[in-house]
Order: sequence, then C-alpha cells, then structure tokens
Amino acid sequence: MFPGVDGFHWSPVHIVFLTAFGAVLTVLLITLAMAALRTWRDFRNGCAASIVWHSDFEDLPRSERLCRHAFEGSAPGRVCDRGFDCRACETHPKLTAIETRHPAPLTAGLHYPEGRLYHRGHTWVEPQPDGTAFIGLDDLGARVFGAPERVELPAAGSLLAVNGPAWRMARNGSEVIVRSPVDGEVLAHGAPGCDWLLLVKPAVSSAPFRHLLSGAEAGAWARAETDRLLLLLSASPAGAALADGGALMPDLRQAMPDAPWDEVAPAMFLNV
Amino acid sequence: MSTPTVRTRNPRRYGMVIDIDRCTGCGACIVACAAENNVAPGASRDNDRTSISLLRVFTIPNPEPVGRRAAFVPLMCMQCERDTPCVAVCPQQAVELDPMTGIVEQMPQRCLGCRYCMTACPYHARSFNWADPHWPSGMEATLNPTVAPRMRGVVEKCDFCQSRMHAAQDRAAANGSLDPGQYTPACVEACPTQAILFGDWDDPASPVSTAGDTFAWLEGLGTKPKVRYRSRQPWVGAMANRGGAAPRKEESNG
Amino acid sequence: MADIPWVPAAMFDRKFVPRGAARCGTAQFSLWLTPWFFLLGLGLWAGYLCLRDGLYHTNMDNRFAFGLWIFLDLAIIAFGGGAFFSGVLLYFLKLKELSAVIRSAVLIGFLCYSGAVTVLMVDVGQPLRAWFTFWHPNTHSMLTEVTFCITCYLVVLSIEYLPVLLRNRQIRKIPSFLVFEWELHKLMPVLAGIGAFLSFFHQGSLGGLYGVLRGRPFAFRESFGIWPTTFFLFILSAMAVGPSFILLTTRLVEWISKRTLVLESVYVKLARISGWMLTFYVLLKSVDTMVWLNSTSRRGGFLPWEYYSWEPFGVWILFVEIGVFGFLPAVWLLRAGRVPTRSLVVPALLACAGIALNRYVLTVQTLALATLPFDEFLSYTPSWQEVAVFGGVAAYGVIVYSILYRYTKLFPQER
Repeated sequence: MFPGVDGFHWSPVHIVFLTAFGAVLTVLLITLAMAALRTWRDFRNGCAASIVWHSDFEDLPRSERLCRHAFEGSAPGRVCDRGFDCRACETHPKLTAIETRHPAPLTAGLHYPEGRLYHRGHTWVEPQPDGTAFIGLDDLGARVFGAPERVELPAAGSLLAVNGPAWRMARNGSEVIVRSPVDGEVLAHGAPGCDWLLLVKPAVSSAPFRHLLSGAEAGAWARAETDRLLLLLSASPAGAALADGGALMPDLRQAMPDAPWDEVAPAMFLNV
Repeated sequence: MSTPTVRTRNPRRYGMVIDIDRCTGCGACIVACAAENNVAPGASRDNDRTSISLLRVFTIPNPEPVGRRAAFVPLMCMQCERDTPCVAVCPQQAVELDPMTGIVEQMPQRCLGCRYCMTACPYHARSFNWADPHWPSGMEATLNPTVAPRMRGVVEKCDFCQSRMHAAQDRAAANGSLDPGQYTPACVEACPTQAILFGDWDDPASPVSTAGDTFAWLEGLGTKPKVRYRSRQPWVGAMANRGGAAPRKEESNG
Repeated sequence: MADIPWVPAAMFDRKFVPRGAARCGTAQFSLWLTPWFFLLGLGLWAGYLCLRDGLYHTNMDNRFAFGLWIFLDLAIIAFGGGAFFSGVLLYFLKLKELSAVIRSAVLIGFLCYSGAVTVLMVDVGQPLRAWFTFWHPNTHSMLTEVTFCITCYLVVLSIEYLPVLLRNRQIRKIPSFLVFEWELHKLMPVLAGIGAFLSFFHQGSLGGLYGVLRGRPFAFRESFGIWPTTFFLFILSAMAVGPSFILLTTRLVEWISKRTLVLESVYVKLARISGWMLTFYVLLKSVDTMVWLNSTSRRGGFLPWEYYSWEPFGVWILFVEIGVFGFLPAVWLLRAGRVPTRSLVVPALLACAGIALNRYVLTVQTLALATLPFDEFLSYTPSWQEVAVFGGVAAYGVIVYSILYRYTKLFPQER
C-alpha cells in the first residue's frame, strides 16, 4: 500500500477509490460521534428525561395512549400523539370547548376527591397556596400495588421531570417506576402513614398542570382505567373478577396472588 | 573469447510455439512439469479436475475421414499480453504481468484462494490446491529445491519454469552479464519430438519467431496469448477459428 | 405460534418480551429453535471440515471454481437488497407505509450479508488473508470493490439495527441507551444514504464480476464506461426482488406466529414497488440479452445458440428466467390491490426464483459451458458439506430472527 514498496504505484484510480471509502467510513464515524455527543448534551441540558419518556410512550400499547378526551366521549378512540403533553396540543382546547362535563358517579368504590389533579400514571397533585404541591399515589394505584415492600423516594433537592421516574416501589421481587406528574424540585418526603409521598416545588411554567385531569374528567378516566385493569386481569390465568359492580379490594395483589402482577402493575403505571 | 559484458537488460516476451503435428500425446511434458514444480501425487479421491494440472494435453479426434485420426494439444498458461484476464480480476494483486519477461507471475503467498482468476481464465489454465500436498515417505528426495511447494487454498499455474530462468540469470550475473541468454523450461526439455518451442518473441532469431505461421486458440477474445500453435492439418486450423465446444476427451496429469 | 397442547405455555423470559406483545411459551419457543440449532451444528461441522482439511470436501474443482456457495451468496445478497431499498423509499421518498417493515427488512439484510460473508470465509482457500484485499487493493478488479463495499455495508446495517436492540425491554432500562437511540434515529437518513450508495456499488459490482469476463463469452457483456451491463441489471434486480422478499418473509412470519403484523396496504405497496422495478428490469434484460446474442457474443467468435445446445441448459432457461420468473410476476405484482392480497406471495416467490435463476446462470451455467473448441460441457453437483454450510447459514438466520422477533418489536403494527 505504501508507494514504492513491493512495486506498488499510486494511480488516480487508487486515489478515487480510497477517497470514496475513506469518506464513507469518516461519515459513519462522524454520525456515531454526533449521536454520542448529542446524547451527552441532552443529559447536560436536562432533556434526557423527556426523550426517554417519548421513546417509552411510542412503545406503550395503544390502549395506554388514549387521549384524555376519549374518556369523556368527545373524541372516542383518539390516540394521543404527543406523549400526553396537553400544554402544546392544538386539539386540546378545541375538544375542551365542545365536551360537556357531567359529574359521573365513580364505580368500584374508588375515591378521587376534588381539589386534586390526577396524572395518567396514577399519581395525584394537590397544589398549595404557597406555590408548592403535594404528590401522592391515587386510589386505583394504591389498590393495584397494595403495600409495597420497599419505596425509593428521590432525595430532597433532586429535580423531577414530568413523566420521568419519580419514585420506585417494589413488591415480591418486581418493581414499578411511578412517573412524576410535574416538573419540579423535591422539597420533602411524607412521613409513613401520610397521605402524600412528596412535597415538591413545581417548575415555573405557563400551564404547569394543564396535562393533569380533574373533576368529572378524572372520574371518567378512573372508570376507564378500572375497565383496563379488569381486561388485563381477565387475560391472565387468574381469570376475571368484579363483574357485579362491587367495590375493589384495598390490596388487589394480596386478594389475587396468582395474577401476573409483574405484567399488570407496569401496565397500570405506564411502565414499558 | 570471453562473453561481452552486457550492462542493460532488455525486456523480453517469452512465449512458445507448439507443433501439434509433432505432439504424440506421450505426456512426458506433463511428467516433467510435475517433477519440476513439486506437484505432489494426487490422493485417491483426486481426478483430472481436482489435481494440479499446470499442463494438460487434449486429444482431438479428426472429424474428417482424411488425415490423421487425432491431434494432441498441450495447453498451459498462455501468458496473455493484453488485458490479461487473471491480472485484472485478482482482488489483491497476487498476479502480475512482468514487463521484463512477459511472464504472468503468480504470488502464492498473497493469494486468498478466491478463485476468481480461475473463472476469468479463458484457457482454464489455472489449478487450485484443494488440499495440502502430501508426498509419500521417501519421495521428498525427489523434490526440486529451487521451487517452493504451495500450501492448500492457493491458485497456481504454469510460469514458464521461472526458477530455471532465475538460475540462468544467476549464472549470467556470475559471468558479469545481465543477459541470461536462453533457458529451457522443463516441458520443452522433456519433449521427445521437440514439439514445444520456447523463446523470446521479440528476438527475431528465437525458435518461436522463426516458427512460421502460427495460430492461437480463442484469438477472437483479444487477450494476445504468447503461446501459439502450428499445424499443417487444415482441420486443426479450422477449429481454431471458432469458439464454442464440441465434446472431446481430455488427458492430464491428474 | 399455535400452541402445542402438551407443551407448557408459561413464559419464563417474559421480562425480555416487549410488554403487550403476545408470544408463545418459553418451552414452545425452545422447541421451535431446536431443529435449527441442529442444522446450525451440522453447518458448523461441515465448515470446520473444510477449514481443517481443505476445500476438497466440496465438489468444486479446477473447472467449477465457483459452485453452490457463490451462487447462493449472490442470491441472498440480492434478497437482502430490500434493506437498502426500503431505507431509500422510507427516508428519502417518504413512503410511510414502509415504516411497518423497515426493522424486519434491516434485520434480514444484516442476516443475509453476515451469512454471505461467513460462507465466503469458508469458501476462500486462505480466509486469514482476507485483509490483503484492503492492503493491496486492485482497483481494476470488481472483487476488490465488492469486498470494500460489503464490509462497510455490514457495519452500516449493524448500526441501523442497533436502535431496535436498544429499545428492548431490559436494555432500555439504561437511559443513556434510549437517548442515544433517539439521537441515532434522527440521523438515520444519513445511514440510509450511505447504505444506498454502498449497496448501489456492491450489488452492481457483483454483476460486474461476471460481465467483465472476456474469457467467458456466455457472461461477458457490453460496458458503459468501466461497468458492464450486468452491473446495472444486478442493481435493478436487487431493487426488484428486495420488496418481494420482504413481502414473503413478513407473510411467513405471520403464518408461523399466527398474528397479523402489518396492514394490507403495506403488502400492496411492497408488491407494486416490486412490480414496477421488475417490469423495468425485465425490459432492460431483454434488450441486453438481444444485444448479447446478436452482437457481443459473436464478436468473441461464439455462436450464441451453441450455448443452449447442452441439455439440461437449453433455451428454455432463457424463457423461464425472463418470462415465467420475470414478466409474469411483474404483471401480477403490478395488479396488487386488484387481486387478493393473499395471492401476492406467489408472484413474489416467482420473482425471487427468477433472480436466483439469474445468479445461477451467471455462475454455474457459465462455468459449465466450454470455451475452447475441443473442450466439453461439464456438470457439477454440490457435496453434502456445501449444502450443510448453507443450511447452517439459513439456520443462523432463522435462529437470530426468531430471537429478535421474540424480544424486540420488529413489527410496530403488530396486533
């Protein structure tokens, strides 16, 4: 390959040939390097959590990506295409204007009090007058998971990204990541026995809670989630339950130990 | 009466003229070639197509009722001069047409064994080492020390006994001359009827240049083979003018 | 897969399976893989024999220097052409339906090319010298070009498939992998472009390998510049057969897994694309064949109809290649949407057979034909080692595809 060695002579064809392949390999390396550099920058700029959420969202089954307006009936079967980010959605205000809100009775004994805003990942947010907010696990979420053996809460002072991991709960060797309902900073943990788990300071934003559900909309969603839970359970060998409209047990995992909770629980909490 | 000292080496175009009328098909050339080039005896599974056949002798029956019943055609690497097919296709330049000798050189040490050159050769003059060569015990004594044996997985072909050419060059250099004079490949030396003539096409006095009218097989392909043939039998010449094939028997040192 | 009653249906590897994807039980999956592992083992053994003792284990010889392996290598590289062509159609021509099959196409491309390279390493006499081509490249040889292109393209295919792997349920738990996958996916058009460039040249050069053989008038063709017509015909045929092969494999996976994996419109699109490319290819091939028969071959001193006077390679081969396996499937595929979509596997199969026949004709038939006027027509049958090595490659493809189908979402439209 070296000029003069073993009688090798460079010719214009060699230059063209090797330049072409050199260019191809260089472009390949640059592409990989750029992807790596952009990845590092995403972590530095704090965009990484949002990217992870969007990747996860794409791989969620269709039934978990329904638009909030599908529950009220103004857009039945509509699938969200922007990761539940209603703040930037142009269709959301249009659908909000046309839907009629009827306070719908909650079934199965679920408790979704007013004054709280609910996230699709089964957490609730209760904004306080001083600008902070309490975050806790909603009723259906608590019943599905029951008493966790281990809860890993984020340290005080750490930042939460909306739809990113807020805290982890483990039970019987399987773990679930509970998604954060808001962007913000963790201020304090709730004591054991408290209704809430985190006290956060939500990030300053024009509509920090627009993507959250409340009131009748939350009720409709909770009903739909109960149906989804029953469907997931009935698809399993443990069989269907709760066909007669009675109340859900407080700890479903204990009541139905044979159900595939390591599949059902991540499904309910929007884990991929 | 010392040989005049020659200080420049002129490029040569070594070639052959094979007299088909003289060839008796005895196969002495094949044996000599195998002995010279350290071709190992074939294994019992080998046939004429899997053994090393650097030189093959074809038998052609005469289609006419007049004249001899058959002709014999020794065939080896034609040392093609123009657009040498094997040189053009080797992906790692293991084949080269030496401009100083006109011989198409094969480098077994660089050969990958892809066999593309074998596909490209119109004369099917190349052989592949389908296995490692194996000499029965005691036969190592017959090996020619000037020619390196080849391992399996590489292609080889006739190289006009380059080791003999190098020996002639060494002898000439020892005498202070760059001109090796004539040398004789093994097949030329062994032929009992001197059917194979060898020399430099650029030398007007060489046996090939003075051989008279010659023809080449597959001349229409344009590779300018340096091994040419002559025959006074018209049916042989007529066959040379066409391509394609008719079923014929083939002999080789398989 | 349809459940076998006596096999337990439990999924012990469920946490690797994409959530929501229905897959058969672990025991049944293992049962499916078992015979393929045997075939792979047989292939590895046959390959080992050839590497240990030499290529005399094959039925190739000095006259049939290329045999079953080269013919099948060319065929599967043509079939793997669906990877690059789908990439071009999706990322540059924005045919969105193809996003349903692009992951499968890229994986199949990777398996085809890696399989071909593996066979080549057994096929050459000295595989450890493979790097010589990079160090002493002969820029006049088509094979040098093929070596460079295929090596680079294998790298490209690996990088193109990486995102699908990184989205596996367990692997994605590392957030940096997911973010890297996201950023890499945004740059996918660059990779698709490089892939198309490399594919253009190596598909073409594989055709060029035979078109430049002055010494084999059966294969030798006219050139445009340095490229014989077989260069362009091979590219076209790879573009034609690629979508058909994707159609076939997707249908096969649907049949084996008993699931619907893509919408009907995707099949119709693939069939139409294949139909158009095949039509174009058949027309150009017919022109090329006429020129070769009447002009190119005669100038070398060869009467073309003599080639077809040796049975079984009669003139019927020419008509079957261009007619039954070329024109007929082209017309049928073009009618996709107006014929039952289920029937499209037939013309797709015919198209693939036609391309395989074309590769066969240029390798095995070319070598079978004599060139010297006193030479004879030859025949060749592959040995069991040759068949076994290729069986091993097919088994490798099925095993890897099955595993990746089970653990990644190859078909985003899967129902």
